[in-house]
Amino acid sequence: MDMLELLNFYIIPGLVLGSIYALGAIGITLIYAILRYSHLAHGDLATLGAFIALALVQAGAPLLVALPATMALTALIAIGIDKGFYAHLRDRPKIITVMSSLGIALMIRAVVQVVWGVDAETYSRGIVRPEVYWGLRIKDRELWTLAFLIAAVVVLQLFLARSKWGKAMRAMSDNPNLALLSGIDNRKVIMLTWIIAGGLCAASGVFLGLNTELKSMMGWGMLLPMFAAAVLGGVGRVEGAVLGGLIVGLAEELSVLVLPGEYKAAMAFAILLFMLLVRPTGLLRGKVL
Amino acid sequence: MSALLTMSAVTGGYGDADILQQVSMHVDPREIVVIVGPNGAGKSTAMKAVFGLLTVRGGSIVFDGDDITRWSPDRIVQRGISYVPQVDNIFREMSIHENLEMGAFLKKGDLSAAYDRVYTLFPDLKERRKTLAGTLSGGQRQMVAMGRALMLDPKLLLLDEPTAGLSPKYMEQIFQICRNVRDTGVAILLVEQHAKQALAFADRGYVLASGQNRHEGTGADLLADREVAEMFLGG
Repeated sequence: MDMLELLNFYIIPGLVLGSIYALGAIGITLIYAILRYSHLAHGDLATLGAFIALALVQAGAPLLVALPATMALTALIAIGIDKGFYAHLRDRPKIITVMSSLGIALMIRAVVQVVWGVDAETYSRGIVRPEVYWGLRIKDRELWTLAFLIAAVVVLQLFLARSKWGKAMRAMSDNPNLALLSGIDNRKVIMLTWIIAGGLCAASGVFLGLNTELKSMMGWGMLLPMFAAAVLGGVGRVEGAVLGGLIVGLAEELSVLVLPGEYKAAMAFAILLFMLLVRPTGLLRGKVL
Repeated sequence: MSALLTMSAVTGGYGDADILQQVSMHVDPREIVVIVGPNGAGKSTAMKAVFGLLTVRGGSIVFDGDDITRWSPDRIVQRGISYVPQVDNIFREMSIHENLEMGAFLKKGDLSAAYDRVYTLFPDLKERRKTLAGTLSGGQRQMVAMGRALMLDPKLLLLDEPTAGLSPKYMEQIFQICRNVRDTGVAILLVEQHAKQALAFADRGYVLASGQNRHEGTGADLLADREVAEMFLGG
């Protein structure tokens, strides 16, 4: 196998899949950092985002308009879920919220199946031929996926490093009691967390739908890789979630070289298990789970 | 001179158990008052009562003319009392400067005067303002914690064992900083384990035991008191 073949059939798809995982993993890592629980409904929230975008596209909106609109709508839904369910469990042991997020996952999936059915859908019909750049075969939508991830991470990092509320999010993640003693409004920080996590989660669903197809189980299948990515990079670290997402995506695609294709999905599980055993703080030293 | 803070016969604790029994004390403006006493005497609890972190079931706490007995901590912060907990009192993953910025979170407008004030009190911090607070030594962390608390220009600063775990050199430095802070017009109420040194440096002191007032007086008087000495100053 030559270098171009490796790049075209394994590395590029791996990076695209990794970018999609990374978008979800950023939300998982932020939610853990601020609210201290694992959000198991993240995959199905991504599914919901993908199907909301489908509805907008079918109504005639170009994807360029549908994507930001979907992100905003999903962010609102995430805030609604938090206010309707998780907020009431805030002072209870975190495992109760984790379990309730599993219930939310099932509810969201049921809604998607009732509204859109269980058949596979796509944003556009027909086969897209990849463009060839110096022998590299890349589809436009693959470039968009990568570009969106890069832009989202740059904006998010600038927000966290420079803005007053971004710093408040970091303070809350760092030392919640001291943040309260300093007068930081935790309800606003929590809402902000859901806006960012919900928006990026929807984007990961849309890009998964764009690069493959939309199915009611698409997000659920993405949950484990997203968690593996967050843990691999170090929980609570945005740059870690991106790094983790790309590694998990690449590992899944490259695993086909040495393992039967059916074991692709097991790669995320193997990475998650390995990291929890060997280095639970992740590559970039996140919080200890 | 009317007192800045007056606790009158405060009874309360966490949950249902009363740790404080009828504790009374006051702090005048520009005064350093220390609370000493044996372990479990309720020293830190008395301070937390002031900051609204306790269920107060009896008595009252009046600050600067307002009855703050049942106020929430964030309201108390805005009213002019800042609190430095004994442990976990900094944002480790944030720079010194960002720690100070978070201290001033409630403040609108230009912060440069507040930064100047804090950096004048803690010149060491100014040089290292970009350093992550979690990488500093214990004494420097305590300075960051105090600096964060001073960003809102409080009238009263509450310090919970600021010298715990520090070397004698740093203890002396923290006490000196406390005097400098007082000289800028801020009253300080602090809890101390190092009773002898603390009483020697404070303007006045209270001795608590089993959640009740035992003795009060100027630092020098308390140091000279035989009963106080026998209680925990080691004779």
